[in-house]
Amino acid sequence: MDRSFLANKDVVAASRKFVCIRLATYEDAAENEVLKGIFTMRSELQNTVFGILTPDGKTHIVRSGRSPAWAFGGQAGRGIHEQPLESMKKMGQTMEAIALAYPGKGKAAKGPLPLPYLADLRLALNVTAADRQPLVAVFAPDAAQRKAMERELSVVAWSEQFIGQAQYVSASDAKEFKAVKGVTVKTGFIVIQPGIFGLEGSVIQEISANAKAGELKKQLANALGQHKPNTLSYYEHRAAGVRAGKRWESKTPSTDNSSPRERIGRQRR
Amino acid sequence: MMMVRSTLLAGAFLAATFISNAQAEVLKGAVKTENIAWYGTWKGGLAEAQRTGRPILLVSGAPQCHNVPGVW
Repeated sequence: MDRSFLANKDVVAASRKFVCIRLATYEDAAENEVLKGIFTMRSELQNTVFGILTPDGKTHIVRSGRSPAWAFGGQAGRGIHEQPLESMKKMGQTMEAIALAYPGKGKAAKGPLPLPYLADLRLALNVTAADRQPLVAVFAPDAAQRKAMERELSVVAWSEQFIGQAQYVSASDAKEFKAVKGVTVKTGFIVIQPGIFGLEGSVIQEISANAKAGELKKQLANALGQHKPNTLSYYEHRAAGVRAGKRWESKTPSTDNSSPRERIGRQRR
Repeated sequence: MMMVRSTLLAGAFLAATFISNAQAEVLKGAVKTENIAWYGTWKGGLAEAQRTGRPILLVSGAPQCHNVPGVW
């Protein structure tokens, strides 16, 4: 079993009481500025950022840093895959305590529960490849139709069966699917198998844009079951990508020049 | 070499978090793992935190290693 912080079962359980946001560093200038407001080293945005914030996003509740280890203790170097159980337990317990302090509005919250969208299809293919998960595109040129489709899919996506099992992106133009093989519909829910390197994808299943939540649940369960995750190890993946000449160019330049030794040193201070 | 290790370790932090096999269940023949459900944009996530009053768990990482995509 993987023992890293964000896969720990107590942390995952506590996360249901939070709004969890994961950004792609160096992909959006405005988001880069948000991240720089949470953590930098030498005033530069780092590759990885971690924080727990108040609901308005303005106040740090725990110490921010490059990873949860900065707040809860643990490994910053080679042992990063084997975080101490006590540190992960501390993170889960702290999150439960924070959830008690910020219980949320419950049923008083107004408005529909939105789908947790990724920014665009290009990034979504890469992120889902990295997560080894399927991608579901909500595709309709008409904004009102997309909204109606989102309402149905949201009910399914946040249900116990499906929460955290797929990721979502909105698309309004067929041209957005130029890297996806097998798209035949002009509107619909398109379940996509991302390629190993997330530069392309292929259709697993197309589901009618008119499908209601009950039908979506059945169809989505079938489609997600057909997803085939990449089985290469981290190092095998990187080596295969180098050999195959697969490259990703971030939209903004990387500014992370810190060394592991420096990061460990800072963490211990 | 330091840069190589730096990038590898930064990626490893995120990679490790999404390839868990905790709490396995069956989902139509596939193994289901319990995962955190992430909002993929700051705008979308912040709006939801403000709507619901729930606190925010935030992480970020570059989805590439040595410019090789498909890995955190």
